[in-house]
Amino acid sequence: MSERVRRENRSGRKIAALIFVFVAVFCSVFFAARGRFATPVTDKTALLIVSPFQNAFAWIGNQLSFVTDTLSEIRYIHSQNKALREEVEILRAQNLTASEFASENQRLRALLGYKQVATQFDLVAASVIGRESATWSSVVVINRGTSDGVADNMAVVTEMGLVGHVLEAGINTSKVQLILDPRSSVGALVQRPESRVAGIVEGDINNPNQPRITNIPKNADVKVEDIIVTSGFGGVYPKGIVVGKIKDIQNETGGLLKYGIMETSVNFEKLEDVAVIVASREAPPEPIQPPPQTPGTETDPAKTAQEIQQAKLIQQQAQQQVRQAQQQQLQQAAAQNPQPQQPQPAPGGAAR
Amino acid sequence: MKIIGIWAAVIVVLYAAQTSLLTLIDFNGVSVNFMLLFTVSAAFLRGPSWGVLFGFVTGILQDSTTGSFFGCATFSFMTAGFFFGMFSSRVFKEQFFLPVVSSIFAGALHFLIMIAFVFLLGYRPDFVQMIYKILMPFLIFQVIFSWPVHKLVYTLDKYARESKR
Repeated sequence: MSERVRRENRSGRKIAALIFVFVAVFCSVFFAARGRFATPVTDKTALLIVSPFQNAFAWIGNQLSFVTDTLSEIRYIHSQNKALREEVEILRAQNLTASEFASENQRLRALLGYKQVATQFDLVAASVIGRESATWSSVVVINRGTSDGVADNMAVVTEMGLVGHVLEAGINTSKVQLILDPRSSVGALVQRPESRVAGIVEGDINNPNQPRITNIPKNADVKVEDIIVTSGFGGVYPKGIVVGKIKDIQNETGGLLKYGIMETSVNFEKLEDVAVIVASREAPPEPIQPPPQTPGTETDPAKTAQEIQQAKLIQQQAQQQVRQAQQQQLQQAAAQNPQPQQPQPAPGGAAR
Repeated sequence: MKIIGIWAAVIVVLYAAQTSLLTLIDFNGVSVNFMLLFTVSAAFLRGPSWGVLFGFVTGILQDSTTGSFFGCATFSFMTAGFFFGMFSSRVFKEQFFLPVVSSIFAGALHFLIMIAFVFLLGYRPDFVQMIYKILMPFLIFQVIFSWPVHKLVYTLDKYARESKR
């Protein structure tokens, strides 16, 4: 009986203690929130006990986060490196394409400029798409043929000068024999006005890059650095196209003639775009330019022309008036003194 | 004495891990609360009185070392310890689902008590927002870590009981 009472008492005290603790803790929340209750010793003790473990765990955490950060950075750098490599490849390809386009643009602009200048020629632009592999001949293939108006023996030029002529025109492509080809011969003459010596430009099989101008009389006025242009003889090449310039002059073995070693105006190693002369006519005359005027006495050509025009008009009107006056005088004279009929001229009068 | 030291050491180590290591995997500043899990598991294993005691110790530890309202965690953990300790004689203590399910209820209870204190102290937080931003991730963390903590407390309790004999 007493044991039961003791147990009940213990249980009641336990419950009371629990309620007390709960209430105390509950109240402490509000007291602490209002600053009326503080536990500095407990706080410091708890921190003192916990802090070494927290430091240890923080160190482990830092190491872990360092490792994970490093790994993620490596992964990021790897993927970035991969992306950058791909970008570099793409940019390299784009750069190459852009360079190619720029180069082509430059060449086509030059060719267009030549086309605008050379108004006496009808040109068909073409690209070199192939070269013959034979070492002793110089023939290239262009991407224009009969369907584009290209025919055999048409001259092929660039803005720099003569390239050759169409050896064989296909439907879409044509073979062009360069002036470097040993089988090629171009009627040419020295451009210098005092000279105008004619010759034949032929390819040299021993020196494929430097053709020769042959058939020049030994005493002809030909000098080094003379510019050679087509003469128009033979009908294949129009007159006046620059072929190149003379680098050296040497005597023929026979002794009566000499020949010049030429440097072509066209760089055949970089031949990419050409123009085929599909029609040729005489160049139009240059527009008349006013002569240079002495400084300080310049006049306005347009104003002068207008003044001349007005003076001419006045002169014509004056002449008209004089003519009318003369007419009237003649009519008056005729009315006053009627003249007899004039005799017919003799048959032999016109031969005199 | 040795057993008390082991219990204390485990609580301190768990608390240090909770505040220093587990914060690395937090979600919007919300992380797991080992002290609550520990209290609930201990309450299940040892009854309401021990649950209140463990809640008091872990709560005091948390309140003393953090700058929150002093006593809130203590009161909450004590309440959780008492409440779940009431079921100590009615559950299978090695059940996997026991700590998992109880962690959800304990988390919700802790959240409600904290919200109640916050309201009583004169603050007016957005309850719905807090459910989404705090309670949901908190419960997920609690569920994930409930089984390992329960296993640890169970092993420790077993060891303590065997040592007592």
